[in-house]
Amino acid sequence: MSKIGKFLLKVLLRIVLLALGFFVVTFTIYIFNLDMKATAMLEPFFEKWYDKLERKQYI
Amino acid sequence: MKTVNKVVNPVKRAGEQSPAGIYDEKLKVRKRREWRGVKDTFYDYTRWLYLVSVLAKFIAVPRNIKGFFRYRWMMSYLFVMHGMDKFTIGLRDEALRITHTSFNFVIADVTQAIANCFRGDRRVGNDKAYSDACVVTDENSMVTFMMGFNTDEVHTILREVPTMFASNIFHQFNVMHYLDIAQQYGIPGDVCPMPEAEAGISIEDDFCVLGSCAVQNNTTCDGSLMGNGIIAKRLEREYGIPTFQLATPLRHKEPDVLEYAAEEIKKAIAFVEEHTGAKWNWDTYFTAAKRVNDATRCRIAQMEINSTPYPQFFGAAFSLYNDTNYMGNSGRNADFVTIDHKLLELAEQGYQAKRMYAKEYRHRCIVWGVQPQYVIDMLYWMVQCWGVVPLTDMLSVINTDMIAEEDTPENREQAYRDMAMLNMEMIMRNHTHGGYKVLLDDLWDLCEKMNADIVMMWEHMSCKALTGMHGMFEEQARERGIHIMWVSHDLCDPRVFTRQAIRDQVNSYMRTVMREEPLDPGLEIIPDNEAY
Amino acid sequence: MRDLKYLKYFEDLLQQANNELIGKAKADGKVCVAYTCENVPEPLLNLDRAVSVRLSAPNTGSLDIATYYMTNLLCEPSRALLERAIEGGFNFADCVITPDGCTMMNRAVENMELLKTMGKDNPNFFHQYMEIAFKNTENDVNLAVLQCTNHILKPLHEKYGIDISDASIRKAVEDHNRLCRLVRELGEFRKEAKPRITGYEFHVFCLATYLCPKYLVEDKLAETIEEVRNREPDDKLWRARVLLVGSEVDDSGLIKLIEEQGAFVCCDRFCFGSYPGRTEIVLNDTEDALTQVCRHYITNCQCPRMMSMDKVYGRKQYVADLAKEYGADGVIYQQVKFCDPWAYERTLGSAMLQNDFGYPVLSVDRPYNVSSSVGQMRTRVQAFVESIEIKSIQKGGRA
Repeated sequence: MSKIGKFLLKVLLRIVLLALGFFVVTFTIYIFNLDMKATAMLEPFFEKWYDKLERKQYI
Repeated sequence: MKTVNKVVNPVKRAGEQSPAGIYDEKLKVRKRREWRGVKDTFYDYTRWLYLVSVLAKFIAVPRNIKGFFRYRWMMSYLFVMHGMDKFTIGLRDEALRITHTSFNFVIADVTQAIANCFRGDRRVGNDKAYSDACVVTDENSMVTFMMGFNTDEVHTILREVPTMFASNIFHQFNVMHYLDIAQQYGIPGDVCPMPEAEAGISIEDDFCVLGSCAVQNNTTCDGSLMGNGIIAKRLEREYGIPTFQLATPLRHKEPDVLEYAAEEIKKAIAFVEEHTGAKWNWDTYFTAAKRVNDATRCRIAQMEINSTPYPQFFGAAFSLYNDTNYMGNSGRNADFVTIDHKLLELAEQGYQAKRMYAKEYRHRCIVWGVQPQYVIDMLYWMVQCWGVVPLTDMLSVINTDMIAEEDTPENREQAYRDMAMLNMEMIMRNHTHGGYKVLLDDLWDLCEKMNADIVMMWEHMSCKALTGMHGMFEEQARERGIHIMWVSHDLCDPRVFTRQAIRDQVNSYMRTVMREEPLDPGLEIIPDNEAY
Repeated sequence: MRDLKYLKYFEDLLQQANNELIGKAKADGKVCVAYTCENVPEPLLNLDRAVSVRLSAPNTGSLDIATYYMTNLLCEPSRALLERAIEGGFNFADCVITPDGCTMMNRAVENMELLKTMGKDNPNFFHQYMEIAFKNTENDVNLAVLQCTNHILKPLHEKYGIDISDASIRKAVEDHNRLCRLVRELGEFRKEAKPRITGYEFHVFCLATYLCPKYLVEDKLAETIEEVRNREPDDKLWRARVLLVGSEVDDSGLIKLIEEQGAFVCCDRFCFGSYPGRTEIVLNDTEDALTQVCRHYITNCQCPRMMSMDKVYGRKQYVADLAKEYGADGVIYQQVKFCDPWAYERTLGSAMLQNDFGYPVLSVDRPYNVSSSVGQMRTRVQAFVESIEIKSIQKGGRA
């Protein structure tokens, strides 16, 4: 196999590995609903933040 | 009583058989996502990725982060994926694709609406030139009066859609805060919570402030009309944004109101021209009119498919897509045409393949009244738990007439009447207002046409137009041998009726009146009352 | 003060929807035009031999049947009217003309129609529903003219042969104005420091002008004005003077209750009160009478469902002007429970009257029949009167 061929194969392998890694990570997040579980943990902090904001209540 | 033939799904569902396993009462979101078999899970995963990319693009803009920390309602959008999961419980094949195609598009549209709000918002983006080209409208406004304005030149901002309407779909508790504010200032708790929450948002100063002018409408109900006064006062007196009240007659079936309504449309257009400096363009209008007609044809075709034993596009995704397209778009955005046709193609494909949402369809149901925002998955639940297939909902039963689409001198005059007609026959109010015939007779006609044996009556307890005909629904349903299943709720206040309290009304009816056992007993009680 | 000669007579009239005077009008060959909303131009219902009768349901008790048809989520007046219609209390009506004003009242009348509660022995009986104006523009005037023509004049003429000519309308307006002058004149006595008529008494007379055929109450009203003119006022000093604003008050007991707490109801600005309902209609000879009547109703309309902002702000200004004219110390914004239009109007109105015009405001909701909630209402009014007194002391006024 030529040098270029080897290089291309390496790049391809890396891309495949990266894609696979991306898939494994994101699919794990997706299937176990980790994205929503994480944001659900953040929600109480945001609640406090919004409660602290000063607003001009007026009718 | 009327009966319909039971339809049994010969195909076993791919993946897990019941979505009951995804709920966990200790969590405010789902325990995990549903396993739908390799093909459909992968599809669902790709759509999840797509939504992640939509949100990532949104949050990559600094002013959107600023907006996120300014507005309490933005918290709902942390749970977009959770919201999407509500729409897809138990779905496979074409049903899953239809729901994703339609609702992903709606989400992208709402995300863009928020980005637009923040761009012009005096507190966030403060892009003055952009803001000056914006016209703020109600969440319940038909935007027909904007059909002839070039979308690059004038921007229609349905400010209340992302702030209240959509945010409540993703987070069931988020509106309660604004209801409390409104009630603290004296608005009673018995009015419709939607305009009440909007008034609360205005009192709390939690609306984006932008636009050269605003157009309000009386399209839904007395509460909506009255809430506008509170909002307009702040817009005008505090922020100096002039508001126009577009009066829309209630008795829309009477020919003697049409000229008045058309004149109001003309005035609204003149108002927008005056404040934005933009000019009405008839080419733009008739292009939009063609799209409106195209959307109407697609919707009619979808309803025809739903009249067969194998309905394809129904539930919350159907009504919300129609809301967005018919009311918020009104032919202005060409992208809807592509989506309309894609949805129709998927529905036709599903119909040919006799795809079903559940293992059995025992009853064919028309859903009448207004759905609660916080139990948006109810109809998908109903078909899977009880085999009651919702053929259509009231909000999707809208105009079927074609409007003038060729630019001729006569049609330019006709165009005002067409816009007025569409405006008067806005979603929901085309049945809740305009006399009892559009509420009662239209329903029975629909039952006949779509061969339904059950009507599920959403009894939104603050919707006086609907509850005011309670007895008549009962009597007339009895005369026609149609089952009527009352399901009470309070639109967007889960403190009045929890999700399970709403589902229990169906459970009780199916067990005690219909004497049936659920198709999926695991779904009869779902521990999601505390979930977002 | 000495009892007014006709007070008891009028009080008795208000005890029944189908009162003695309606019977007399029917015997006189009149056509009874029933209606439910102040937005219907009243003179047009009193053309020729037509007489208008506003539907009401005094002494409402159980609302069971109406609640079955309309649920307990609709306002009590709408359910009370339906209940009374089902009981046969409105059988005198020869037609019902209803605007699609507030949804609940509209639904009440639609239920009446579907249940065929009226007109059983009258082949000419009809129901008509009108679209009514939302704003104060010429487009709205045109709408009103068309609606009145199609839903009042034509049916009255076709079914009952009523004369709907311009001359007939002008005559009806003349009669209407005469009555308005009488009511307003009677109401003027409330401006006095030591008023010779109570808010309660005035309300009884004023309400009767809506619920009874007008031509049968006019002479008694005129006589009452003379009687009041010569009446010796009490030495009693009222603790406060209040302007009552809001939903229709069919139960004069509400005003009596307020006055029992020492607050004199010096002016009324509610549906079917004297403001704006008993405002004279000024006609010119250059324009047709129908258009002028419609314009009057649109210009003077103070209904909360009028949505343009000039009307929204104008309504509060109107209340403030009345409060000033009648020397009110405070304003009571009240609404019948479940009334959407007044729920919002009460909220915004009470805030604006307080913040923009500086009036103390009591903002309350109440049942249709106040007797079912006397204790609560009394407490609210007592507290309000005390708060006005305290403010007055703080400003250096009388205790």
